[in-house]
Amino acid sequence: MTSTHRSRGSGSQGGFALVLAAAVFIVSLFLWAEARADAPAPPDAGLVRLSEMEESALLIRTVDAGLYIPAPLVATDIALDIAGPVARATVTQRFENPSDAWVEGIYVFPLPADAGVDRLRMQIGDRFIEGEIHERRQARRIYEEARANGQRASLLEQERPNMFTTSVANIGPGETIIVQIEYQDVARLADGTFELRVPLAITPRYIPADAPQFVAEGRNRPAAVPDAHRITPPLMHPDGEPENALRLPVSITARLQPGFVPGEIASLYHATLVEHLGDGDARISLADGPVPANRDFVLTWRPAEEDRPSAALFTQTLNGETYLLAQVLPPAMLGADTQRRPRETVFVIDNSGSMAGASMRQAKQALLSALDRMQPGDRFNVIRFDNTMEQVFPAPVDASRDNLDRARRFVRGLDANGGTEMLPAMQAALVDATPQDTARVRQVVFLTDGAIGNEDALFAAIHDGLGRSRLFPVGIGSAPNTYFMSRAARAGRGTFTHIGDISEVAGAMDALFAALERPVMTDLDALFPEGALSEIWPAPLPDLYYGEPVLMTARLDNPAGSMRLEGRMGEALWQADLSLSDARPANGIATLWARNRIRAIEELRYQGASPEAINAEVLQTALDFHLVSRLTSLVAVDVTPARPADEALAARDVPLMVPHGWDFEAVMNRSPERQHRAALDPALIDRLAPGTPPAAGDARAREGLALPATATPREWLILLGLLLALAGLAWRVAQRRQSTC
Amino acid sequence: MLNPTLFAKTASLALIAAGTALVGQGVWIGAKAEIAQALLARAWARAIDGESAPTPWPWADTWPVARLSVPDLGEHAIVLAEAGGEALAFGPSLLTASATPGEPGISVIAAHRDTHFRFLQHVEPGQTVIIERTDAPPLAFRVTGSEIVEAARSGIETGNGGPARLALVTCWPFDAVTPGPLRYVVWAEPAGDLQTAGLHP
Repeated sequence: MTSTHRSRGSGSQGGFALVLAAAVFIVSLFLWAEARADAPAPPDAGLVRLSEMEESALLIRTVDAGLYIPAPLVATDIALDIAGPVARATVTQRFENPSDAWVEGIYVFPLPADAGVDRLRMQIGDRFIEGEIHERRQARRIYEEARANGQRASLLEQERPNMFTTSVANIGPGETIIVQIEYQDVARLADGTFELRVPLAITPRYIPADAPQFVAEGRNRPAAVPDAHRITPPLMHPDGEPENALRLPVSITARLQPGFVPGEIASLYHATLVEHLGDGDARISLADGPVPANRDFVLTWRPAEEDRPSAALFTQTLNGETYLLAQVLPPAMLGADTQRRPRETVFVIDNSGSMAGASMRQAKQALLSALDRMQPGDRFNVIRFDNTMEQVFPAPVDASRDNLDRARRFVRGLDANGGTEMLPAMQAALVDATPQDTARVRQVVFLTDGAIGNEDALFAAIHDGLGRSRLFPVGIGSAPNTYFMSRAARAGRGTFTHIGDISEVAGAMDALFAALERPVMTDLDALFPEGALSEIWPAPLPDLYYGEPVLMTARLDNPAGSMRLEGRMGEALWQADLSLSDARPANGIATLWARNRIRAIEELRYQGASPEAINAEVLQTALDFHLVSRLTSLVAVDVTPARPADEALAARDVPLMVPHGWDFEAVMNRSPERQHRAALDPALIDRLAPGTPPAAGDARAREGLALPATATPREWLILLGLLLALAGLAWRVAQRRQSTC
Repeated sequence: MLNPTLFAKTASLALIAAGTALVGQGVWIGAKAEIAQALLARAWARAIDGESAPTPWPWADTWPVARLSVPDLGEHAIVLAEAGGEALAFGPSLLTASATPGEPGISVIAAHRDTHFRFLQHVEPGQTVIIERTDAPPLAFRVTGSEIVEAARSGIETGNGGPARLALVTCWPFDAVTPGPLRYVVWAEPAGDLQTAGLHP
């Protein structure tokens, strides 16, 4: 009897333990979830981080630090003013605050490589903000003074070299924000065709094989650019379009003064209308009105007659000075049929850890295809480096079949790991055993992602050791250190090639070999009449590779008479005389001249110029020409015109007074049916960080800095864990007693 | 049909395992905080030697910017830059939006209430907080008081200049079991150099 009683008792004990354990488990799960909520939330749909931005946007702060909501973009207008290869782009964008709260935002804009924003204008509601160039420390002082006086101001920071960023404070409920920036870019010339790319959307995208292409003159006729598909068609597949339609109509107009009679003017991905204005000038606009911003706008043009030397001179008069841009295309046929000269080529391949994965495969394939181009009579060597270095041959050897096979086996066996010690490899590659050998040209092809820190030492090594060698950096991967490599190419008097994807290897290497195998124009010089020239940049003029134009900027004391360009191509001399009176007016040339000047002065560093002298020169030039540089910043200042005192009360009802010289018409008078209004997900609006209404000073004091979460779930985890384990243990003991009885 | 004995056995063992894992995770949070401070002490030594932004371990996304100590309580910690979201797990962090200690404006240093800033509950007005920076002589601050604020409306306004002040922030209340919206702020003002504060470095 007693045994059954005890058995029953232990059975109810077991049931109690089970219920207790289950209860503790459920409660702990609940608390666990709450404790975990303390950890940073995962990135949510609809929210973005600054580092992820690949296209222009106005990002509104949310309550989660570092996460932003893109504000709806209502309209974008892009106006291009192209003179010769120089393009001045004015981008005007209109955004709206979708919420009924005051918010703060950050405006980001992707820039083409080498371009710099030098003008910024913003309209936020009824306030006007203009960017001014100041010396960096002074810019900070102005900013801090303005803030202390309660004025609105913001300092423009450079997040990434190719990304323009500025903060926009105090955006009122439903308010409109218009941002206008101007930047300067240079059209790329390849195989006689100029190409200007305006980034509209640069997100990673799927490229359909049969992307439609348009030619300007006739609508929807396939483009007569035979290799258009190779120039990376940046077309987003319709499936990739966001469903909530944040991509909004862009209007684009361009004024083209090519400096020669243009043949075909084409837009690779958009139907355009071309209006010829005579004298080679043209006006280009979109044929079907505004387009969705889902693909880059790429404009190409080429001279009508290809075999004649084409030359163009432009001048700009600014503050009493005359600035000249000369662009001369040496006759293309000079390069085409000339005999190939034997070469001594040293290939250097980076197999450090940062190259792991796709980059290493691209580099290996690029190098293997380069080895295939070596011919009997050439000499070559292969060097690999990570934090160690290895040469396949002690010195360059003949490109015999056996030697090439040995090099290929070496390259195929490479793995990416280790650190990056580029300097010894660079020095080894530049060692020239036969400096007197004029029969062969000496070239160093350097494949790397450029992930290095000791750039100064490398530039010094290139400068000191170059001799007759020429350096051709090949940038590998989606984000190589372009700044380092284009500078290394200039210092090494070669060209810079970028391979961003394995599918680009063949095309990019063909372009590189065109430069390597065809004759180079050297000893270029520009001669001016006595007393005409003040300063010329770049100085000395760089060597020209096949298909490249002479591109030089000068400041002239006296824009009269004629200039002569001469150069040497192998044994042949080339000369061109240009009359300065033929020069036509164009904008942006002074800026280009100043940028060239700053670049050249910065590079004097590696030739022993004192840092103080360099800083002084760079600062003065940057201030004179309104350029953002290493030593200058743009600081945004409120320039809202003061209203008459008697109108102060009704200020918000008075039509906006736009500062003199400002023009936002392009995005203001957009027909409403073209605007697919972008709705914001209502769930996201709750996450917007509250900004500060400008009038409510006391509200601001009440809000203050948002403090981080400063509790760890440590003690709670330990307590819960102990409870759980104890409950489990109790249950287990109850089972044992039950089974033993 | 489920075997009840086997189910009970498996379930109870699972409970024990889950409980042990939770305890382990809790212990790890505390251990991480301690180990990180030891590694940070070495990075701090490098920072004093003039290295800019020395990371305490190669993949760290933060670096030491100051050393904070309260001599009366015998407490000290290396203060990190609030560069990534994870800095608080390793040490007190100087909020990016706030001023450098000793410069005009409010410097806000936050840490977890159950690790590095557990001692904050014992800090009394009149005590001295010493902040050592890499680029300036050590600074003494005198504690003026404390307050409890809401995290979202702290009333702490940074970036506007004004006198140099120090705000040490942690979660409130100290013995709470779940994260809450309240924060405990200890305020301190410059007390001149270490001599006038009656202390020697």
